[in-house]
Amino acid sequence: MIYYIYDGSFEGLLTSIYEAYYRKDNPLKILSINNYQRELLVEYIHIETVPEKAEKVYNSIRKKISVKTLQNVFYVYLSEFDDIGTLIYQYLRYGWKIGRNVDLHISDDRVSTIHNIRRKVTREIHFMLGLLRFKELKNNIYYAEYEPDYNITALIAPHFIERLSDQNWVIHDIKRGIGVLYNQKEWVVKDINLESDLEFSKDEIFYQRLWIKYFDSIAIKNRINPKLQKSNMPMKYWKYLVEK
Amino acid sequence: MEILDKLKILADAAKYDVSCSSSGSSRKNTKGGIGNSHISGICHSWSDDGRCISLLKILFTNYCIYNCKYCVNKVTNDVPRAAFTPDELAKLTISFYRRNYIEGLFLSSGIINNPNYTMELLLHTVKKLRLDYNFNGYIHLKAIPGANIEIIEEAGRFADRMSVNIELPSDKGLKLLAPQKNMNSIFTPMGQIDSKIIENKYALQRYRSANKFVPAGQSTQLIVGATDDEDFTILNLSESLYNKYHLKRVYFSAYVPVSKHPNLPDISTPPLLREHRLYQADWLLRFYGFTSSELLDKNSPNFDIDFDPKCNWALRNLHLFPVEINKADYEMLIRIPGIGIKSAKKILAARRFGPLTYDNLKKIGAVLKRARFFITCQGKYYGEVGIDENRIKKSLLMDSSKQNNNKKQGEQLSIFSLYPSLAPVENHLIEIGEDFK
Repeated sequence: MIYYIYDGSFEGLLTSIYEAYYRKDNPLKILSINNYQRELLVEYIHIETVPEKAEKVYNSIRKKISVKTLQNVFYVYLSEFDDIGTLIYQYLRYGWKIGRNVDLHISDDRVSTIHNIRRKVTREIHFMLGLLRFKELKNNIYYAEYEPDYNITALIAPHFIERLSDQNWVIHDIKRGIGVLYNQKEWVVKDINLESDLEFSKDEIFYQRLWIKYFDSIAIKNRINPKLQKSNMPMKYWKYLVEK
Repeated sequence: MEILDKLKILADAAKYDVSCSSSGSSRKNTKGGIGNSHISGICHSWSDDGRCISLLKILFTNYCIYNCKYCVNKVTNDVPRAAFTPDELAKLTISFYRRNYIEGLFLSSGIINNPNYTMELLLHTVKKLRLDYNFNGYIHLKAIPGANIEIIEEAGRFADRMSVNIELPSDKGLKLLAPQKNMNSIFTPMGQIDSKIIENKYALQRYRSANKFVPAGQSTQLIVGATDDEDFTILNLSESLYNKYHLKRVYFSAYVPVSKHPNLPDISTPPLLREHRLYQADWLLRFYGFTSSELLDKNSPNFDIDFDPKCNWALRNLHLFPVEINKADYEMLIRIPGIGIKSAKKILAARRFGPLTYDNLKKIGAVLKRARFFITCQGKYYGEVGIDENRIKKSLLMDSSKQNNNKKQGEQLSIFSLYPSLAPVENHLIEIGEDFK
């Protein structure tokens, strides 16, 4: 019984899939070094990440299966669920066998599992496009903090680059200590470590108060329905909302 | 008056307009500008009544010369009054937008002085936003009935969506509750905007640089339960609005008792379940190929409170069932209770690679609790009770009462219809590029 261990990166995962094919090891699992526990009777092989090999797999998914499959793989990788390496490996093996129509085989478990995880990630992305809240700092930077379940910061950034293109802003994933910084021209993904407290602009609190007032006024009192509110807007996202 | 007080008064006065959708437009940002719109719309919060907040929904003013009895802003009502200036409103919109509170502006107004004067003020505000602030986010603008078509037309060049609210579904109701209005004065601007939209479509085909006119289309709103109009009347009206004026949406607003008058019904809570049934039926008209006369008729002019409209239809047409999941065409699949557009499409796709089992259906997301009475999978029937109206009804009711006991009452009222409609999100997500490798 062989398990592959990769370094946790996307390239690492793709390299493992490359090796699985070319070494003909047929590994039972592909696990990230960040979360696995040793089991008895298992041979662990550490895979060294090689960008060229990862790129071959990347291009092969694109050409021999489809761009949609490639997206599915990347989104599922970002979900950071346990054992996604193995799930992706099985999904791709099936994909190379079936070809570009693999995503229509929704009655197959390998496909439907991947689709379900992707749906969760997509759903969170869509939520965050709406629920992210920027606060204006003294130095004219708009700062947003949040704690997404999945590692989606790089996926939501392009939306805000298009939309708030004339603004300096930061999106900070507190949970992972990373963020996107944008200066009206370029954007980067970086580790972020806040050392001092943030200072808000003089208008910031004023607009927060206005928003809270609006939020309270717009609800129809005869229709108050906290259950519906919670089912539409899960409470786990309330922490960083100005109005809640 | 402080902005904070104005905001409170004018948001409070705008909240009975239920539309909050920010979908249907794909306006792009301009260089140096701010904002764009997302084709499927984005919700930015959900208020305590559970409804989605997408746009800053607000009145320009709640001063009004009319005295419509159902309306909180009627001239004889003793409420605090306020009015924004175009500049205040534009600045507020931009400041909210920069903080990602909102998707754009939904601007309506009471009638101040006269319809033309009011429409000019609205036009002035959206022009300021678009031209001075380079705002490219979503704008939903009310067309004021009775205003000159030239002003409405100009406004339409800056708005993403326009709407004229009908409010009361029949002339009889209007006479009773809003004697200063009539159906004709409402349909006139609706027709004018519609012909302008059609004209614009042709222009866009010929000249790609032509300016877009109301790209997200028109909508309207009907109040449910303020008059004795039946569901059949309301549904017929919305069907003809879709056909005749090509409306994108007809919204229903359960009447909220805001004031007392002998001509108004004396109710304590808004008829939410009735509103919900109408929305379900509205969905059936727009996406499922049903006509209003299939769902209701003169003999049964109101929806059953216990069963959703599709279930109701199926129970009255049992001779069409059971349907074999592996053979039925799309049109029939979507008519099966418990199977929606998404499930039907998935069934069609999956069928190409082999017959579907009952278990497969579960995974696809069909609601088997309802569907099982109406289908067979590879010839096998799973409904247990057989194709018998009373026995199916009994089982369905048992299921829903079980559910209600578990969840307590009222929760089945998901007001899904108030979301900005969620078109397939996936199409609009970023493709994986070099940056993510």
